[in-house]
Amino acid sequence: MDNFADLSGAPRPIKKTLKMRKNIFMQLWRFIALNLKMVAMIFKGDH
Amino acid sequence: MARVVILGAGISGHTAALHLRRSLGKGHEVVMVTPNSKWNWIPSNIWVGVGKMSAEQVTFPLAPIYKRKGIEFHQALGTSIHPEGDKDHSRGYVTIKYTSPEKAGQEGKIEYDYLINATGPKLNFAATEGLGPDGHTVSVCTAGHALEAAEKFKEVIAKLKAGEKQRLVIGVGHGTCTCEGAAFEYTFNVEHELVQAGVRDLAEVIYLTNEYELGDFGVGGMSFAQRGFETNSKLWTESLFLERGVKAILQSHVSKVEPGLIHYEQLDGVKRTLTFDFAMLLPPFRGADLKAFNKAGEDISSEIFAPSGFMKVDANYTPKPYEEWRAEDWPTTYQVPAFPNVFAVGIAFAPPHQISKPRTSATGTLIAPSPPRTGMPSGVMGKTAALTIIDQIKRGAKAKVHEASMANMGAACVASAGAGFTNGSAAAMTMYPVVPDYERFPGVGRSSKDTFGEIGLAGHWIKYMLHIMFIYKAKARPLWFLIPE
Repeated sequence: MDNFADLSGAPRPIKKTLKMRKNIFMQLWRFIALNLKMVAMIFKGDH
Repeated sequence: MARVVILGAGISGHTAALHLRRSLGKGHEVVMVTPNSKWNWIPSNIWVGVGKMSAEQVTFPLAPIYKRKGIEFHQALGTSIHPEGDKDHSRGYVTIKYTSPEKAGQEGKIEYDYLINATGPKLNFAATEGLGPDGHTVSVCTAGHALEAAEKFKEVIAKLKAGEKQRLVIGVGHGTCTCEGAAFEYTFNVEHELVQAGVRDLAEVIYLTNEYELGDFGVGGMSFAQRGFETNSKLWTESLFLERGVKAILQSHVSKVEPGLIHYEQLDGVKRTLTFDFAMLLPPFRGADLKAFNKAGEDISSEIFAPSGFMKVDANYTPKPYEEWRAEDWPTTYQVPAFPNVFAVGIAFAPPHQISKPRTSATGTLIAPSPPRTGMPSGVMGKTAALTIIDQIKRGAKAKVHEASMANMGAACVASAGAGFTNGSAAAMTMYPVVPDYERFPGVGRSSKDTFGEIGLAGHWIKYMLHIMFIYKAKARPLWFLIPE
């Protein structure tokens, strides 16, 4: 018998979350924010 | 005049070669020895594996780049290292065996003043019977493998369209594999393509992994601060699996693959089987088949290399319990202690221990994800070794030795979860540092400010942007050096 992991305790994203993950304007903002965060993280450590 | 020889033109070795050539005058030689004629941006192979990209989009020929930059190029495999030279060679040298069609099989020797071993992994499909393209599963480790995977995936979609149910198993093919992130990416790209093809309802997608829990990714998982709460990559990853209807089998060591049947053992010691119609399982890695010899010609491989075949550098390799592992065990200079003019970077260096807690099954089988050291950390290590060599050539052997430890290095992992300019998505994750440092960051070992994860379309754009940027950089186009590793 297959022993699949129990995922029943995981949070399921609501419709609004899924919509925001595809919203162009929100994602443009997240694109800028994520890039800035990544650059800051890179320069914080050995690089 | 000094000669620097680099073995391997992957992310680490190629980065080192470009930095060396940029900073060393024409009076010094930079020599690249690598068995492949093409450079491959491996993170995009997952898109080749689902038919979204061609092999040409993720590879390019190395020879024209090296000709333009003045890097001597030998398409050959490094076979042995002689760090002390011998009676005929006052300097260290490497032996090589050509792989280019015009010189295939010919052997040669190249002396060096500095050597960088960036040979990357040997894809050890042989560790699991029936694993790999010569067995019964596909892989996305090389562009060629990914093309083959795409062909098989296309056949699966055709069968689904004909109304035939299919089970797709994606994951890792051994208990000690690394690169779970790549398996995760391929899983969700496959799932995304099944949705796009309108056949998702007939397909069962299963992620088979050696991770103790989802979100481990071989780095022991991550903790994020999100909307005022401390959450973790386990919950976050499980949420994605639940949302996309992907099943997961954890804590597994695949012991054998037969046509349509995977044999695996879990931590509880129970041996199970899993049928499949399509399986992409990544292989475990070994060090390249390199030998080392002293001046007298005696084999000193066991002194230079760990049993895994990876090269021992300035790390603390003293065996000790998991609880006693420290961030400072990890190497900083990547120099081989006995031969400071020899470096091992990227996957080629032997990690002192796992990052994710190793476990053994009830029957004693080791189920322990190996530490990932690809991508960004690989590039940083290659650059660090290059900077040390540049300074030593210009200022003498007492010049500054540059340092970069994975315990003080961040990494960005943008795991694609489906390609598409408006309907794609990716899990964008960063962690700092890669190796947890529980003294600097009590509790979780990493900075909660610089460790985060987010799912969305922006992640896909970042992944695609990185694809463009790193191929531009690898082609040494104008101002390439401004792009961080």
